[in-house]
Amino acid sequence: MLAPINISMESLNVMTLAPMLIPVIGALLILVIDVVKGGLHKSLYVVLSLLFLAIDFFSLLDASELFTQNGTVLGMFDVMLIDGLALLAQFIIVIASMLFIPLALTHKRFHEFSYPEFFALFLFMIAGFQFMVATDNIILIFVGLETASLALYTLIAMHNRDKSFEAAVKYFTMGALAAGFFSFGAMIFYALTGSVEINKIALVLAANGYADIGYVLVGTAFMLAAFAFKLSLIPFHTWAPDVYEGSSAPMAGYMSIVPKIAAFVVAMRFFEFLVHSGIVWLDIVLYAFVIITMTVANMWALVQTDVKRMLAYSSISHAGFVMAAILIGTTQANSALFLYWVLFTFTNLGSFSMLWISRQKNLPAHQSSDHSFDKFAGMIKTAPVAAMIMGLFMLSLAGVPPFALFWGKIYLISSAVTSGYTILALIMALNSAIAGYYYLKLIVYMFMKEPVMGNDGHMYVANATLALKTIIGIAAVGTIFAFVAINPLLEFITAFVYNSGY
Amino acid sequence: MLDHILSLLIFFPALAAVFGFMIQKESMRAYGVSVAAIEFALALWLWYVFDGSVSGMQFMESLPLVPSFGINYTLGVDGISVFIIILSAFFTLLGIGSLTDTKQVKYMIITLLFLQMTMVGVFAALDAIVFYIFWELSLVPMLYIIGAWGGPLRIYASIKFFLYTFAGSLVMLVGMLFMAYFYYQATGVWSFALLDWYRLILPETFQLWLFAAFFLGFAIKVPMFPFHTWLPYAHGQAPTIGSVILAAILLKMGTYAFVRFSLPLFPDAAAFFMIPIAIIAIIMVIYTAMVAYAQKDIKQVVAYSSISHMGIIILGTFALNVEGITGSIFLMLGHGVVAGALFLLVGVIYDRRHTKLMSEFGGLAHVMPRYATIFGIMMMASVGMPLTINFVGEFLSLLGFYQQSHILTLLAGTGIIVGAIYMLAAYKKAFFGEVTNEKNKNLPDINKRELFGLIPLVIVAIWLGVYPKPVLEPINNSVKSIVQLMHNKSTTALAKERIPNLVKPKVVIIEKTIIEEVH
Repeated sequence: MLAPINISMESLNVMTLAPMLIPVIGALLILVIDVVKGGLHKSLYVVLSLLFLAIDFFSLLDASELFTQNGTVLGMFDVMLIDGLALLAQFIIVIASMLFIPLALTHKRFHEFSYPEFFALFLFMIAGFQFMVATDNIILIFVGLETASLALYTLIAMHNRDKSFEAAVKYFTMGALAAGFFSFGAMIFYALTGSVEINKIALVLAANGYADIGYVLVGTAFMLAAFAFKLSLIPFHTWAPDVYEGSSAPMAGYMSIVPKIAAFVVAMRFFEFLVHSGIVWLDIVLYAFVIITMTVANMWALVQTDVKRMLAYSSISHAGFVMAAILIGTTQANSALFLYWVLFTFTNLGSFSMLWISRQKNLPAHQSSDHSFDKFAGMIKTAPVAAMIMGLFMLSLAGVPPFALFWGKIYLISSAVTSGYTILALIMALNSAIAGYYYLKLIVYMFMKEPVMGNDGHMYVANATLALKTIIGIAAVGTIFAFVAINPLLEFITAFVYNSGY
Repeated sequence: MLDHILSLLIFFPALAAVFGFMIQKESMRAYGVSVAAIEFALALWLWYVFDGSVSGMQFMESLPLVPSFGINYTLGVDGISVFIIILSAFFTLLGIGSLTDTKQVKYMIITLLFLQMTMVGVFAALDAIVFYIFWELSLVPMLYIIGAWGGPLRIYASIKFFLYTFAGSLVMLVGMLFMAYFYYQATGVWSFALLDWYRLILPETFQLWLFAAFFLGFAIKVPMFPFHTWLPYAHGQAPTIGSVILAAILLKMGTYAFVRFSLPLFPDAAAFFMIPIAIIAIIMVIYTAMVAYAQKDIKQVVAYSSISHMGIIILGTFALNVEGITGSIFLMLGHGVVAGALFLLVGVIYDRRHTKLMSEFGGLAHVMPRYATIFGIMMMASVGMPLTINFVGEFLSLLGFYQQSHILTLLAGTGIIVGAIYMLAAYKKAFFGEVTNEKNKNLPDINKRELFGLIPLVIVAIWLGVYPKPVLEPINNSVKSIVQLMHNKSTTALAKERIPNLVKPKVVIIEKTIIEEVH
């Protein structure tokens, strides 16, 4: 007979679980509502999800207040780890989700939104990502990652077009491979150190002076591959453009932001100690990943004929750009990563939403894909406001000051400068120049070409409702007036990153 | 209000542009002219309250933007920038006033007003990031002007223009971040404020690298050989108004930035690179003058001559002494007036004939006498005839460089002679002889709207040629302080030798005028 386990509730610190439990409860509630009375309108579910996310947001505010007072909080057998990184990442996840979910209120009927399961899965996914970032334990990271990913695959497939199925299956297979890599890497580290907690792994490895360097490298290689899949770093990016193309535009925008910030945080926890341990090999590999990802993705983006695919490659390039922060690994670089991602959230969700409101239910004959460049020709003449907003997002993505992403860019490049990565800084700057070309291409189509015959501009806003316009308005305001928010944001982020020891 | 006159000058046109969306299409032209006139009046007022005898910054304002990273919204003008600001207000007024009938005139005027915001912003900014913001932002309206209203190759030309400048300035941005980091290392505080940077003395090797990074950004904008290839395309495809603003103001950003950034921040590097840059400048002067001679398109002649003159400006700037820099700044103004006017004049004939080929013209002096007269005056000013505005600037620039190298100055002088040849040849082809082409027989002479743009330019070109003192003196005062700063900051013997020390011979300066001061 086993002795009964006796643990006081206080030492569990259940409050650390609150931010994750809220979306889970929300998801369950949505399912229950559907069981009790089916066939309700999607607006109910949208608003319910929004409300739960708002509560989630407030619980995060609470937790961050606790963090500023007491520092890092551990809970639930020390599995949960609420530090600055966890909080910042969760803020980004929740805010991006709050911006995303109203996009379901479209004008046209896209049937995935009529299922309550969509919203339940969506909330489960958020909980998964929140678990992933708020722990130090490789197993919980894995569980969070898989919960979120499996929900995400289903959400993509629910778009219910041939291409969406292809996308979902592609993403699923690649994701499964990544999961395999991850568990292999975790296994090796467990074998080496006897621990599944990253900080303990770091301690043990440091204590024996990286004696088994060969195994460490193998484990690191597996981990690197797993994260490269999730962050779509070249050459593990092949799923990204197809998946983005197959999923609905807001879903693609969402995928380019939320799963990646979660993966970035885990990568930061995992690789930071390895980078600082002076393993030259890892430095070189990360350096190569960063440069190849941003440069090659930019080259591919240059030749795309579809705006959505172009944006897909551009977000791969942005991910490579931000990966530089992990390589540099100073407090300034890590703060720059979060700053960049907050700003990127607004701009990128905005530009994908612009694609979303121009989505037609059926393709006209002259158009080869949903969002081909031709579709946007002469938009300034037929839909001037929409064209200007889209142009604004493109300029911001290209890093033209004073729009949002420029600030992220200079801070990240500055962190490269400060830590002596001069060549990297130059490559990052020149890549922004290359990227300028394809963003400009859309601007050229919108502002300088003649519209296609018979285009009265209605199609650009065919899908627009008040909710969508509001979201785009928020994104646009966030993009233009970013310079006002940079200073408080930067101080907030730097304090959080610094106090969690990164 | 006087405390914030620079902010007002920057953001008034932008605000007016935003309101411009509400204006009805037919009234847009009147709205544009009124806004530009108010802006010009404000600029003149700035000149009136500006104290020309002070060498430092005036009307400074400062507002924290990202204080934790050392970025502040800091503005200020001195003798170097104040006249370029006035010039840009002047040209926006003339440009909008003489705007020909174009499609979508409403968007054109809104774009021009936004462009004006960025132009004034570049010249008034005293914080590197604020400068960079306006510098980059100025590309967007120009891109739109060339791309939407340009000729058949407009898209290629506009993208080339954007990407060249964008790539160059990103390298410059990395340079700025390095500069701020060095400042942080020296003082423990982040700062992008130019006046803070002025106080920082860097080791020579750092200076050389940073100078190169900034140089790339500025040289593409000027444009200096061999980065000049975007300019003929941009001019060739741009509508008249685009070329006018581009030549008169936007190119000046590059040369102005040399004086504002490169020289005082990196005096040793400037002295080190003086001869190579002078050689590039002379290649610019002679080579582009020869290319200009070979052109068949009259607008290309003006475009290449404009690059050629920019070479003299660079030469004057890198003379690194008071005469040279003062001359180059004055030549920036002169070149703005003259090149702007020439592009306006080319636009006049293009509107009538829809061609810019000189072989199509000939004998225009008989048909359009007033047009030929104005063109003649401006052409004379362009080749640097005494008593016109360009003469003063060219003379001072060359005089300044003569103290550094006799041979190179002589070579640059021959460039000016070639300049006279191609200009006179072009003038001859277009205006003299018999009217051979039937289509030219009944061309109407210059009309009121065009005169509105041209007459003030003629007046300015002659007035400042005859009596440059009111402009030259404030420039000279500010340049002196910059040269002195450079001398004090420089560490190498070469730089000490090339950059004159002004403190000792001060007694002499009081007695003699600037030009005599040389010997």
